[in-house]
Amino acid sequence: MLLETRGITKSFGVVRALRDVSFTLRAGEVHGLMGENGAGKSTLIKVLTGLNQPDGGTILLEGQKVTFAAPRDAQAAGIAAVYQEINLIPERSVADNLFLGREPRRLGLFIDRPRMIAEADALLQRYGLAIDPKRTLRTLGLGLQQLVSIARVVSLGARVVILDEPTSALSSAEVELLYRVVEQLRRDGIGLVYVSHRLSECYQLCDRLTVLRDGAVVDSAATGDLPRARLIAAMLGREAGPVVARTPGASAVAPAPGSAATALRVQNLSWRRRVRGVSLAVGRGEILGLVGLLGSGRTETFKAIYGAEKPDSGTIEIAGRRVARPRPAESIRQGLAFLSEDRRSEGIFGQLSVRENLSASVLPRISRWGVISRRRQDELVVRYLRELGVKSAGPGMPITSLSGGNQQKVLIGRALCSEPGTVMLDDPTRGIDVGAKAEVHRVIRGLAAEGLGVLVTSSEIEEVVELADRLVVLDEGAVTGELATEGRSGDDVLALLAGDPSDAQAHQPSTGGAA
Amino acid sequence: MTPAETPTRPAWLTADVLRSRSVYIAFILLVLFDLVVTPGFRNPVVVRSLLFEAAPVILIALGQALAIGTRGIDLSVGSVMALSSAVIGITLSFGQGVSIAAGIGAGLLCGILNGLLVAVFRIAPLISSLSLLVAARGLAQALLGGARLDLPFDGPIAIIGQVTLFGLPVTALVALAVAASFAFVVRRTTPGRYAIFVGASRTAATLAGHPVRSTLAFVYGLSGMLAGVAGMFATARLGAADANYIGVQFELDAIAAAVIGGTPLSGGRISTLGTVFGVLLLVVLDASFIMNNVNANYAQILKAAFIVGALYVQRAGA
Repeated sequence: MLLETRGITKSFGVVRALRDVSFTLRAGEVHGLMGENGAGKSTLIKVLTGLNQPDGGTILLEGQKVTFAAPRDAQAAGIAAVYQEINLIPERSVADNLFLGREPRRLGLFIDRPRMIAEADALLQRYGLAIDPKRTLRTLGLGLQQLVSIARVVSLGARVVILDEPTSALSSAEVELLYRVVEQLRRDGIGLVYVSHRLSECYQLCDRLTVLRDGAVVDSAATGDLPRARLIAAMLGREAGPVVARTPGASAVAPAPGSAATALRVQNLSWRRRVRGVSLAVGRGEILGLVGLLGSGRTETFKAIYGAEKPDSGTIEIAGRRVARPRPAESIRQGLAFLSEDRRSEGIFGQLSVRENLSASVLPRISRWGVISRRRQDELVVRYLRELGVKSAGPGMPITSLSGGNQQKVLIGRALCSEPGTVMLDDPTRGIDVGAKAEVHRVIRGLAAEGLGVLVTSSEIEEVVELADRLVVLDEGAVTGELATEGRSGDDVLALLAGDPSDAQAHQPSTGGAA
Repeated sequence: MTPAETPTRPAWLTADVLRSRSVYIAFILLVLFDLVVTPGFRNPVVVRSLLFEAAPVILIALGQALAIGTRGIDLSVGSVMALSSAVIGITLSFGQGVSIAAGIGAGLLCGILNGLLVAVFRIAPLISSLSLLVAARGLAQALLGGARLDLPFDGPIAIIGQVTLFGLPVTALVALAVAASFAFVVRRTTPGRYAIFVGASRTAATLAGHPVRSTLAFVYGLSGMLAGVAGMFATARLGAADANYIGVQFELDAIAAAVIGGTPLSGGRISTLGTVFGVLLLVVLDASFIMNNVNANYAQILKAAFIVGALYVQRAGA
């Protein structure tokens, strides 16, 4: 046994974050750590990496009892964590980052750059990462940066690597690369603790799954012996089932050109080389899903339609009216709202209250002569907090005091405040827990039922298939297909994506040009 | 921890509350200290003189707080005060009313220029306002030919520099009235909220459809105009237009006052009352050194140490 914890307990004040947690990790094993937010995953990781000291219980590393007073001790013992936020230096090269603080030197003085680059290259090759070690780290996608981070900790001698939410930042092709890296780690006999919200990934990747709930281990089994339903039931602490059945309301046919039922029509939209001649139409009451692999340009398409990126060519019609100069403010005025995939840096105003965050897009509408009407602001806030079921201690609380799922609902509320005819939701359930996810789905279906056009994408294909009435497939910035989702599964769509000959290349590790 | 173990302390005594009120507490402590130790501090003439000193600084500190609230900075305020002073000096022949308007207008123009550089040409506020710091003072010195220009002993400008109401300088009362409207603008109006949103997250503000550029132009324009008024006040108090004296290093006091008062450099938050008290604190601190005959050089060092200490307390709360 590479790593074992026995009866770990940890409390913060009255909160029992970990209760008698026993967990084992074999060499060469990928072990998924599952659970909703607040289940205790983060605390367990902090205990394993020496950030927190357990109140009770023992940690055994290769059978030896160990205690970590500080993260340094855990690192020295060979336990390393790679987090969503990468702590490398973005402005330096990949090689610099890999050898940070232990650069090969000549005469013990000067950095031996050629040797460092050669060694970095060998290291990257070993993990199947076709990245030029001389490239500036910043120019890689976040996902690739994370893979570099993994290569670094392993080359530093880590035997236990903890990947905390690795794929939240990764796109599908980077996930592909991650799989290769993981395979190599397996061969090297390194134990991997894998923490992710994405069930499908965990099923593909992990040998065993352990489920935490309320700080205790509630289930642990080999992946093959743990069906999805049982896993979800264990995570949620209740019998899993479809939360809301999808009503086959809207037609699965694209609205006819010029039809009054069109909420949003985009024709031949291009932006740089990332969006290439995209045409699509969303009907009123329709949920249109945008699916595609890494770099297929989902986010870029959204942003070009919204005017956050200035499209080079193409036309955009919102509710039948052509938008002359797409800009966010103009799009909102015309009735198009957008929810960014990056909640933290493009969505919330971190220091401000729930009230301010929710009403941020409609200040002109609730003010006269530039003076904001507190009454009308509060009306909006009360209405949307209730309609969306936001759990908060009050509209005056900072938005950062809310859970990720509730923050997301506030941002959806912000989008709805402007009373849009169409909403574009870029990965609306990213990084939120299973329960909140179901609620966000319920909200999205409710919007369509009220007659709004919804354009949605997700990094989980199954999610889009489940939500959408119709799918548009995007590949390298261009639309390559369309299909109704009635009776389809995520695998069908994957097959469609995989069947596309141009897609075969997307699965190859591209030379670092990923993001 | 069971409730029995929890120390029963009143809510207003917690570390967070103390920290967020630190500028007021420090101000009260300093005033108490002066009342006990500093000879002559109780004299109403001294208080009046301090408020005359504080009035222009309050104005530029408010503009500064707004700029900092957008995660920017305005280093030009001191030099813009000097330019305003110089413009007043050279336009006196058109009548004092005109020259007052010209001085304020010069400040506004500087602010708009600064705002354009920041908003349209996307130059970092630190750089654009630094270049304006150099250029505005240079222009002021050129306009006055490097000399001090004494103003007439009568007329509106002389009155502004001396008149009091209920024993309080009218300039200080104006500054407080400006502070009150400033607080209203920041809290309750769209331009004020947009400034805060831009400071909290510029990307999120853009995506939320906010007019980011005009907001920035407004912010720096207002800061420039307030500096123009401040320059006029300082000129009136001095009784002379002097490009080498007016507003020298005032930008530092303005920044310190805003930040000590609870407007973090990271943007997204503005404390108007805190900024006013930050200015009062610094003005009283200066006076304490002078009235206790502390050597001016040591006084500078002590003041710097005090500011660093105050910022440390703020930072610990962040």
